[in-house]
Amino acid sequence: MSDKSTFWQTLLSVLSSFFGVQSERNRERDFREGRPLHYVLTGLLMAAVFVLAVILLVRWALSLAGA
Amino acid sequence: MVRTRIITIGSGLGLTAVSASALAAWEVNLTPGVTDVSRSVFDLHMTIFWICVAIALVVFGVMFWSIFHHRKSRGAQAHHFHENTVVEVIWTIIPIGILVAMAVPATATLVQMYDTSEAELDVQITGYQWKWRYDYLDHDLDFFSNLSTPREQITNEADKQENYLLEVDRHLVLPVDTKIRFLLTSNDVIHSWWVPALAVKKDAIPGFINEAWTVINEPGIYRGQCAELCGKDHGFMPVVIEAVTQDEFQQWLADAREAKAAEAAAAERVWTLDELMQQGEQVYLSACSACHLPNGEGVPGAFPALKGSPIALGDVAAHIDIVLNGKSGTAMQAFRDQLSATELAAVITYERNAWGNSLGEAVSPAQIAQLLEPTTGEAEQ
Ligand code: HEC
Ligand SMILES: [Cu+2]
Repeated sequence: MSDKSTFWQTLLSVLSSFFGVQSERNRERDFREGRPLHYVLTGLLMAAVFVLAVILLVRWALSLAGA
Repeated sequence: MVRTRIITIGSGLGLTAVSASALAAWEVNLTPGVTDVSRSVFDLHMTIFWICVAIALVVFGVMFWSIFHHRKSRGAQAHHFHENTVVEVIWTIIPIGILVAMAVPATATLVQMYDTSEAELDVQITGYQWKWRYDYLDHDLDFFSNLSTPREQITNEADKQENYLLEVDRHLVLPVDTKIRFLLTSNDVIHSWWVPALAVKKDAIPGFINEAWTVINEPGIYRGQCAELCGKDHGFMPVVIEAVTQDEFQQWLADAREAKAAEAAAAERVWTLDELMQQGEQVYLSACSACHLPNGEGVPGAFPALKGSPIALGDVAAHIDIVLNGKSGTAMQAFRDQLSATELAAVITYERNAWGNSLGEAVSPAQIAQLLEPTTGEAEQ
């Protein structure tokens, strides 16, 4: 579980869950190889990134409007 | 142009074309209003409406075509499969794209709506159960705006007129081509001040001040309503705006302040019992009858009867006190800031002499005016 490719797999799976679509093949792989804790932590991290992205988006929109 | 025609999907697949003006006469669509903001709200509404129409045509078109094309009589066989990632990704990305495309112009309009800076006129709007108060903050002028639809129309004893429940005794007069800031709050429960022609709808919340603004482009009368369920007479507290030219507005301001001064002077002369009874009846019907009923009998369990009431027939000081200061924690409001000294004296006199109450004594406007003096008022509280 420590090799680099698996981290990307976890991240991609979390992002797919944000998006709402995941292929059956990846789902089976995740359930076979993954560890729940990794998904929870990556999920929390991505949730924080998402909130930050929304904040930045609003700031950017307001700066465009000159407010 | 596609925009000027509206296509309604009739029953089944029949397509009918109706001109936009016919639709406007039918009054089912949003009003384009009379401000730049209301026009951009209207444009947004139409843009999104057409996007929805296009989506509906595509989705239902494909659905009906599929049903028809793959019907059983043609020997269609269902193709069993479980998932298709590519299709799922496509039908997720397309709606995201559409939503973002809608959000861009919508955000621009919202930002515009919230920009209350650089207003030339401030009007404070306060919601009361069940009327609005307008305060021209820089012009030392404030008044209440009450429903003026006659009660007989409400109780179906007379024919309902064109502006039934959308008419008031005093209009909110505003100048055109002027940036006006509204400061909204409430005296009791949450109300919402809504005028479709201006595309302004804002909650009036006790203890908070909300802001909104408008620049009216065309003189005219614009009507609105309270849009937040606020109790028994929620449907009886309309908004009527009279937009006039800037010169007319200045003239109106001067006249209104003169009338206010004349009223103060009137409190000083001596009023006869008959005069007070006459004015008192009018005040009673506009300010009190919603709760205590026109016949003074009230609503048992909610609003006490004034006919035969121990207070209305008892000590005049106690009667004056409850009308001026209300009773906290009940629907009985303090009327000291809502009515003039003359109106207060008249309505109290009326209550003591109407519906079989017959004390034969008048409460004089001068007597009330003394109680309303700011210093006396503060000492009392
Ligand atoms: C929103 C409803 C409402 C309106 C409008 C209203 N009242 Fe009242 N009024 C009440 C209620 C409720 C009470 C009872 C208060 C209590 O619990 O003692 C009351 C009590 C009174 C009493 C005391 C009666 C008694 O026997 O206890 C008088 C007098 C009175 N109102 C006069 C007026 C006058 C004058 C006006 C108009 C200027 C008016 N009210 C408008 C709700 C209302
Ligand atoms: Cu209301």
